[in-house]
Amino acid sequence: MMYSIAQIKREWQFMLSQRYVLALLLCGLLVSVFSVVTGISEVNQQRATIERLKAADEIDRAEAQEKYDDPGSLAYYTFHLTYASPSNLAFAALGERDIYPWKHRVRMLALEGQIYESDAQNPELAQIGKIDFVFVISALSPLIIILLFHDLVASERNNGRYDFIVSTAKSSFALWGARSAVRFISLYVCFMLPFVVGAVISDTAFIDVLLVSFMCFAYFIFWTLLSLWFGRHSSSAPKIASSLIGIWVLFAFVLPILGDIAINKHIESPDGGDILLVQREAVNDAWDLSIDTTMASFLAEHPEYDYYEELQSGGFNWWWYYAFQQVGDQTAGSLSVQYRHASVAKYESAKYVSWLSPPLLLQRSMTRIADTDAKAAFEYENQIREFHKALRMFYYPELFSSDTFDKNKLESMPQFK
Amino acid sequence: MDVYVILLHQGLSVTKNNNSKALIEARDLCVDIKDATILKNLNFKVAAGEIYALLGGNGAGKSTTLKTFLGFNKPVSGNAVIDGQEVTSALDSVRSKTAYLPESATLYPHLTARENVSYFLSLADIKKTDAEIDTAFEKVALQANARERQLQTYSKGMRQKTAIALALLREAPIFFLDEPTSGLDPVAIDEFNQLVSDLAANGATILMVTHDVYGACQVADRIGLLRDGELVGEYEAPEGGRIDTEQVHIAFAQRQTA
Repeated sequence: MMYSIAQIKREWQFMLSQRYVLALLLCGLLVSVFSVVTGISEVNQQRATIERLKAADEIDRAEAQEKYDDPGSLAYYTFHLTYASPSNLAFAALGERDIYPWKHRVRMLALEGQIYESDAQNPELAQIGKIDFVFVISALSPLIIILLFHDLVASERNNGRYDFIVSTAKSSFALWGARSAVRFISLYVCFMLPFVVGAVISDTAFIDVLLVSFMCFAYFIFWTLLSLWFGRHSSSAPKIASSLIGIWVLFAFVLPILGDIAINKHIESPDGGDILLVQREAVNDAWDLSIDTTMASFLAEHPEYDYYEELQSGGFNWWWYYAFQQVGDQTAGSLSVQYRHASVAKYESAKYVSWLSPPLLLQRSMTRIADTDAKAAFEYENQIREFHKALRMFYYPELFSSDTFDKNKLESMPQFK
Repeated sequence: MDVYVILLHQGLSVTKNNNSKALIEARDLCVDIKDATILKNLNFKVAAGEIYALLGGNGAGKSTTLKTFLGFNKPVSGNAVIDGQEVTSALDSVRSKTAYLPESATLYPHLTARENVSYFLSLADIKKTDAEIDTAFEKVALQANARERQLQTYSKGMRQKTAIALALLREAPIFFLDEPTSGLDPVAIDEFNQLVSDLAANGATILMVTHDVYGACQVADRIGLLRDGELVGEYEAPEGGRIDTEQVHIAFAQRQTA
């Protein structure tokens, strides 16, 4: 034990005398700090936005509730903020939160259009591209590991020191083991220290910190062993470096992109825009249809309101208006289900690609723990649907009633949690 | 005749240290490198306290022999034996008994002489005080004001002295020297030869490989003439004398042109 500590201590001092190694470590530390700071800033911004919208939402709702007395107008003019708050680990893995919306202000109108209004693109295979902590670890750290470890042996050979140093060392561990361990630990600390500080600031659960630390450790071990293995089998440092960078490009870019192309080709999915269009056309067309035609479709879902004819007046009827909003959702329903099934299928298929690509696997695992992946976005969508359904269940009995609306009932109106 | 000339193919074997324990021994050593046979049934012994020079031209197999004793080449057949242990089966033990001085002592240029020596001693798990390190530097005549300078400011001779100081501090009983005087000026060569002689006088066993006939004759107790991986002759210094340079030179030249 004392022997190992002495070897580590010597290599630590030796490493401190190597400027290029220190420069690489500093580089790792800086990009990690940058990613954590930007991650925390982004999460704080998202939380602040949610808080701001929540406050504005309450004011708007109170104003609408004071101004209107009938359930139809109340349902029409009252907006409801829905949101998916970032988790305490989201700062490290922002994940899909810039692809999928994490806030919607919904009304009791047709829902599908409201959900997919901001649909920028289909859920796709998680690809590297954001400068968050998981991007830094999965995409950038391998480069620094390669630079630090590829010529650990080759540089000694190229400088004509190999035979001398190997024949002098008491054991292989004393030289390569201790030197690798010191570089590995230093690099790991440089990358992980900002994350741990960020986790403390963000009040991240200890188990999450532990899990992420373990995953990053395993990831670093993978690239380190790969670099050392290549380093042992060639004496040409440029050859080793170019081979390793080729593998990095393959794992980090080529395989995920090919996987994305293959998955998109294999799994057909409608566009979010199509759902919006179909739903809006259904709603717009409903103005020109007879009430009975619309209500026939509506009653298929809500037969309990088959007495609607008793409520008909000569003028505009809110219950009819909301009925055709729902029929709009029903018309776009099959497309929406296809879209969601395809999104889930793509997400599940991406799992197999991630087994071939360690950077993707790490990114996918971390965004899952951080609850920022596509799956979390699907769950948020389902929460919106549940909430919207609850809103309808709250308003429909009032809309299909000839009694005067008791505004005290608004206190039991569903709240998005 | 001052020197016993032993041509191995004639089956003669007369050496000065016949009865001493052999610390370095090549036993029917055959080594291939990338399908080319470099050493062919090489046999020689170096007794304790003896300086043995393997002399040969380029490609004769000198460095291959040394690297085989250092454990970097694996013999196809035969054995490289150090202090009774086969190099291939007891590498760590064998290396702890040897000090290697390469042709060009490429220590770490960004470290000072003292830092280099301390680093390599620690690597060998040897503890020495600063005073002991200074004593070694004095033995190799490395000036005090140079010891704290980075090696990138050193001449080749000074770097070589640093490496020798390190070898001395390791207190290894066996030294392997690879073209140790190559590139040194005449004064430095004389100083080096004196150091090697002193080491042997203190009981060190030395195997050096060189193509410098004069240098080998100056310092070696015995010279083995190597050609195409085979030992084609051995020359031994008489009691209290030196090997006849002229005779070795002629034999060397003949062997090179044969």
